[in-house]
Amino acid sequence: MTDTAAAPTDPFAPDALNASEGLGPVDPAYGHVLRITTALNMLPLAIGATLFDLLVMPRIGGPTGLVSVAAWLFAAIAIVTFPARRVSRWGYRIGEGQLRVARGWLFRTDTIVPFVRVQHIDVGQGPVERWFGLSHLVVHTSGTHNSTVTLPGLQADLAAAMRETIRRHIQTDFA
Amino acid sequence: MSDAAALPAAADEPHWQRLHPATLALALVRIGPRSLQFLPAVAALGFTGNWVWIVPAILAYLLIAFAAACLQWMRFRFIVGDDAVVIESGVLSRQHRTIPFDRIQDVSIEQGLVSRALGIAKVGFETGAGGKENDAHLDAIGLDAAQALRTTIRAHRSTPVAAPAADAPESAPAPAEDRLLFAMGPRRLLVAGLFNFSLAALAVVGGGMQFFDNLLPFDFNIFNPADWIDIAGRYGLDSWLLAHRWIAGIGAAISLLFIGFASGVATMMFANWDFHLTREPRALRRTRGLTTRTDVAVPVKRVQAAILVTGWLRKRFGWHELRLQSLASDGEKERDHQVVPFGRIEEIDPVLGEVAIRRPDDAQAWQHSHRIVALGPIIGATAATIGGGIALYLGNAVGWLGIVAAPLIALIALWAARYHLWADIGDQVAIRRGWWKPKMTLLPHASVQSVDLKTDFILRPFGLATLVFGVPGGSSLASHEIPAIPLGVAQDLRSRILAAGLRQ
Repeated sequence: MTDTAAAPTDPFAPDALNASEGLGPVDPAYGHVLRITTALNMLPLAIGATLFDLLVMPRIGGPTGLVSVAAWLFAAIAIVTFPARRVSRWGYRIGEGQLRVARGWLFRTDTIVPFVRVQHIDVGQGPVERWFGLSHLVVHTSGTHNSTVTLPGLQADLAAAMRETIRRHIQTDFA
Repeated sequence: MSDAAALPAAADEPHWQRLHPATLALALVRIGPRSLQFLPAVAALGFTGNWVWIVPAILAYLLIAFAAACLQWMRFRFIVGDDAVVIESGVLSRQHRTIPFDRIQDVSIEQGLVSRALGIAKVGFETGAGGKENDAHLDAIGLDAAQALRTTIRAHRSTPVAAPAADAPESAPAPAEDRLLFAMGPRRLLVAGLFNFSLAALAVVGGGMQFFDNLLPFDFNIFNPADWIDIAGRYGLDSWLLAHRWIAGIGAAISLLFIGFASGVATMMFANWDFHLTREPRALRRTRGLTTRTDVAVPVKRVQAAILVTGWLRKRFGWHELRLQSLASDGEKERDHQVVPFGRIEEIDPVLGEVAIRRPDDAQAWQHSHRIVALGPIIGATAATIGGGIALYLGNAVGWLGIVAAPLIALIALWAARYHLWADIGDQVAIRRGWWKPKMTLLPHASVQSVDLKTDFILRPFGLATLVFGVPGGSSLASHEIPAIPLGVAQDLRSRILAAGLRQ
């Protein structure tokens, strides 16, 4: 593990965050995946807000347009800015018999799962991920907390290779 | 619905077994509480003025519920084979489940009051698989059949381990090895019950008395002062009593206290009557219960962590409770196995020794979590103050409650923050927390499946981190964590703990 001191990391230079903790970044294309997923989540909300504005607001005499503008603005910000930042805060490292996954900045969680503790492994690919040739790796442990650890944004062949690496270490421990 | 098909099939293969027919009687008993679900419908009928339909509707409901239970019973069958239990169930969607004996950690037997009268028992198979949907049980079969089933499965588990030659010494001294680790007699239960005094139980009893006031066979509600005055009136005391109201106040307080103690003793007696914890070759076996008797085994190898709980007052008297966190959960309500509900530390140490967990001695140096752990409650207290202020501003006197309670909450949180302690003792971590209800978790490094190192925008400026451990079993809500310790220390501890896992 890293012995770097907890230097006050510049929150606006997120690459430094991963580097200072000795983690590698996930594939930048994952940003597009996140952007599209966010868009798919946000657009129905924005459309709903517009419909609300057009159909309900006149009846109750509220200010027309305010809700739609706010909703579309919020959706645009969420789609344009957040995904890139969220991607840069994902980091991982595989090696020394363990998988390390870190995510988030405001609430940062840095998880280590030793390979010998892995119960089973999934490699998954959603429709949007397939578009960009990405996969996500899900590692299951028998712990109640952290029973699944997900690492998104991996090239499909890299995810498969990681799965094989981890699989070699899984051994039965039944008494 | 082809329930007729099941019967010929059962005739063709004679080894398919059904649940005990008395299960139907049990189902009948269970319809009682379940019919509460029907209350809204009855109310709807009443409100719409269709009074005549209420009785037929209830009858129809009971009939349908009973028919459903019968159908379920008819469509449930199981085989105890040579090396696996096969269960087929489901009325419309069929489920076929095979549980190899090798994967059954242990067989638990549970008997409720009605089951005991009928001589049947519910058999649960602990497979170590998480989640409620993975629990397999036979509800219910004859008690002797249940015990025979358990013997079969245990015998199967012991044979492959030892070769036939070595089998004889293992099976012969096995009864001798079943030694008693801990037992509780009525006296101990009484003491434990007195410490079990609970205002919550009091509230429940009180609420129940209010609710069932009309249903009680006697017309007296101990929570109703008018009833007390009635009694006094019969003896000509009412005028005296009204003149000395404080007597009535003391009387009410004493009866409240009495009920608090009595309910504590009663719950303790019902749950832990005839408590026995025995060491078996592979497991700790616990039998307990007055009306509902349970017989549960905790395989020693499956114990993940030990949790020592005590109370602010009972600690002064040297009483502690020991729970073991295992892969399987203890019944439906409890996640951890209560193996010593109420005992001296000298009685607990041998039990801990059996599961190879060591309790840190009194000389152990403990490290503190940062005071910042009190921040959450303090934010809560601030919110309470603001809420109280708003309520007062709106002219609601309840707001005072929030304003008075908030500083108290904050003070208690600050005080309790001093009791977040931890120590790394060789191959296990000890975590202590709580002042009102001190709790010590003993977590062997080898049980840790994964480690989270968490920081957030509050902890980061202080250079702090929280360690959260992924441990099998236990509640998903109460994970084991060491909150707010210096980042470097946390990283160090994390690598030490994970190194233990790699050595295996």
